[in-house]
Amino acid sequence: MGLLNKVADINKSPAFNLDVRQSHKYLSTSTEEQALYLLVKMTHASDLRPLRLPLNLCLVLDRSTSMRGARLQNVKQGVQQIIDDLEPDDALSVVLFSDRAKVLLPSEKNIQKSRLKSVISAIQSSGGTEMLQGLVAGIEQLRTHRTMTSINHLMFITDGQTYGDEAGCLEQAQLANASQITLTTMGIGEDWNETLLEKMAVASGGTSLYIDSPREIRQAFQTSMDALTSVVARGVSMTVDTASGIRLENIYMMTPYISVLEHQASRLLLGPLACDTEKTMLMEFRVRAEVAQTYPDSIQIHIEGDLPEQTNYCSRLSKQITVEFSKKPSRNVTIPSDIITALGKLAIFKLQEKTMIDLEQGEVTTATQRLETMATRLLNIGETELARSALLEAGRLARTGNLSAEGRKKIRYGTRSLSMLPKEIYRD
Amino acid sequence: MIKCPFCEAKQVDNTIFCSECGVYLLEDERRGTEALDFDEMDWGDENEEPQAVEVKPENNLQQSIHLKIGDGIREIEASLAKAIHLGRLDPASDVFPEVDLSDESGLEKGVSRRHARIIKRDETVVVEDLGSINGTFVNGKRLAPYLPETLNDGDQLQLGNLVIEIGMG
Repeated sequence: MGLLNKVADINKSPAFNLDVRQSHKYLSTSTEEQALYLLVKMTHASDLRPLRLPLNLCLVLDRSTSMRGARLQNVKQGVQQIIDDLEPDDALSVVLFSDRAKVLLPSEKNIQKSRLKSVISAIQSSGGTEMLQGLVAGIEQLRTHRTMTSINHLMFITDGQTYGDEAGCLEQAQLANASQITLTTMGIGEDWNETLLEKMAVASGGTSLYIDSPREIRQAFQTSMDALTSVVARGVSMTVDTASGIRLENIYMMTPYISVLEHQASRLLLGPLACDTEKTMLMEFRVRAEVAQTYPDSIQIHIEGDLPEQTNYCSRLSKQITVEFSKKPSRNVTIPSDIITALGKLAIFKLQEKTMIDLEQGEVTTATQRLETMATRLLNIGETELARSALLEAGRLARTGNLSAEGRKKIRYGTRSLSMLPKEIYRD
Repeated sequence: MIKCPFCEAKQVDNTIFCSECGVYLLEDERRGTEALDFDEMDWGDENEEPQAVEVKPENNLQQSIHLKIGDGIREIEASLAKAIHLGRLDPASDVFPEVDLSDESGLEKGVSRRHARIIKRDETVVVEDLGSINGTFVNGKRLAPYLPETLNDGDQLQLGNLVIEIGMG
């Protein structure tokens, strides 16, 4: 049972829209396995208003020695800015971590803002980076004021690597997700584990951010706060059902960045939906015609989410996608251009992912070649700066057998941002 | 099963981009831009004085830019966090513009695949022609290729024969 007493919206107009484009209308009846792509765009109905729901927020801050100076200073200012934006009904807790975790502020409502700001400004840096304890303490704090309508969020900021407790951190992120807690994980500088922070964020239905310079910290905090305070639906989830003969191979979230969604679980938890935002996903299927062609509604996508505007109310929407088969499908099919654009950007992102896998397996030559191919692609699409980083790293890789920590992050976060597209404005 | 012509990796039927090297696998059926007939060119309002190139203070904090394309049916809001390329989609030549003008009769109106880009440079929003065949114009003035020109609120940007209205703020 979820937190809410859910009611299905049979008679009401749906709160969500699902726009599904499919790469091929007709698949071949041949016995060969075929690929099918769906671009699924989820938006909310235009009459849904954002609600400033009570926030249940925990800030988990790295105060290890390496944070000293501009980093910690900007984190403090960012936190003070968040404190200024809090409403009396919002709950805030602050956890600091280095070698161990310390609850600086247990979860509390009606914050005395000036007192807390002064406590924040007195934070001193010391010690190493042990992430797990900070994370556990943070999630614990969020349980205090978690209610049926609160937006539960944990902002996690670090500039270092954690050793030995990575699996535990990921497990905590999954637990958080199950309790409707989303995570924003932010990494500052070069020396942190981007794979882990990203996995943690995605597992919770949140996002991870790469912070290049300390000056960007405050903006990152502000952007996260803006999204949290304009929620139209919370606990959004999606289920994809396929008929026999059709297998979901991969799902990628394309907005706001490209991320790989783990789809082994039948239900994908996507976190809250902020006003005027969309969630766009690209799905890759593998189809075996001889089995699949006997099922009319071959793929079904279901989404649901709680609408805070209407208390205790869960909106659901399903969409059936019919795949048709033909003995000789035309070779000159026009594939919708937005699918091609999305797949083109995704192809570069995947090159990056494959490079990292090559490296893990010690295949330095393959990784170097792949990185060079990626640089050419990037140059061609006009991403000159990213292309240059990729080329530099390819050179370094060939010479030393390794990537620089900074280059690794630039390439990862650069390629995942390739999917950022201008927003189309629709007027009635 | 199909084979990537570039890296020879085996790919499942209907695959659009090679999973190994990322190359586009479909046949190239898209057409290149042709030079427009000079007389047909709409050079914008020639009587209008070109605006002085100066940065308005409100331009400084610009995070995004508003584009009203052609007859105004399509409007977009584009983030200035990274370069905004304008042109026509051509996956076979690795052209994936952020603003794809194919559906606005881009080809007929002389828009090149890589036509122009809008970037934020030193807190100023500028447009740069990328060596397009039919040129980029700001308020009727043709830009020299690769020489950026400042964009201000209300400016009329023209790619070949396609007009785009710029909105900021």
